[in-house]
Amino acid sequence: MSPVQVLAPLAGTLVGLADVPDPVFAEQLVGAGAAVEPAAGAGRTAVCAPVAGTVVKAHPHAFIVQHESGAAVLVHVGIDTVKLAGEGFERHVDEGAVVAAGDPVVTFDPTAVRGRGLSAVTPVVVLDSAPDSVPGLRTGQDVDAGEPLYAWEG
Amino acid sequence: MASAEEIVSGLGGADNIVEVEGCITRLRTEVRDPSLVDERALRASGAHGVVMAGTIVQVVVGPEADTLADDVQDLL
Repeated sequence: MSPVQVLAPLAGTLVGLADVPDPVFAEQLVGAGAAVEPAAGAGRTAVCAPVAGTVVKAHPHAFIVQHESGAAVLVHVGIDTVKLAGEGFERHVDEGAVVAAGDPVVTFDPTAVRGRGLSAVTPVVVLDSAPDSVPGLRTGQDVDAGEPLYAWEG
Repeated sequence: MASAEEIVSGLGGADNIVEVEGCITRLRTEVRDPSLVDERALRASGAHGVVMAGTIVQVVVGPEADTLADDVQDLL
């Protein structure tokens, strides 16, 4: 199987999952991947599909895009943001929609999320992938939305 | 794939469950008595992981979490 190229859904600093303040992500319990920390003071930010495929789950604060290879990529916008019950989040597509990589799925305000005492760091995880199956992450580097984040070999 | 019955049993039974909510890949639950939670049984039933903090128990079950939370709710 050829690697699945996973794009950064938003601009920010690339962070390893181990540094995400949520043990479910940090311990890779849902899969391997990386996270993006939006810049301080970032305004309303579009969060885009990391791969082309079908939106199989679409919550205001998190969504899953299933790639044609079968890989399902979860984008979780901020940590514990389910508590905000969608406040400040705008969802642009419905479940079942077919999206291209880079299509906007959700818009949110990282600064407002931080203002509620929550982290805006956004894990991008290949669901059910083996721990540490995403090698060679350039953690600490800045990425733009739509730039390659990592390649998942499967 | 864990069944709703196995989740309820692993969390110490219906009477021990205060609240259950699905969130994409995990069940967020609140229990009365955390000592009644059987982490090993939950993992054996197919949960990827169990994260406990006081009376809050998160059971990582994968993308079926929302459906499973509804099924668990029906048993309470």
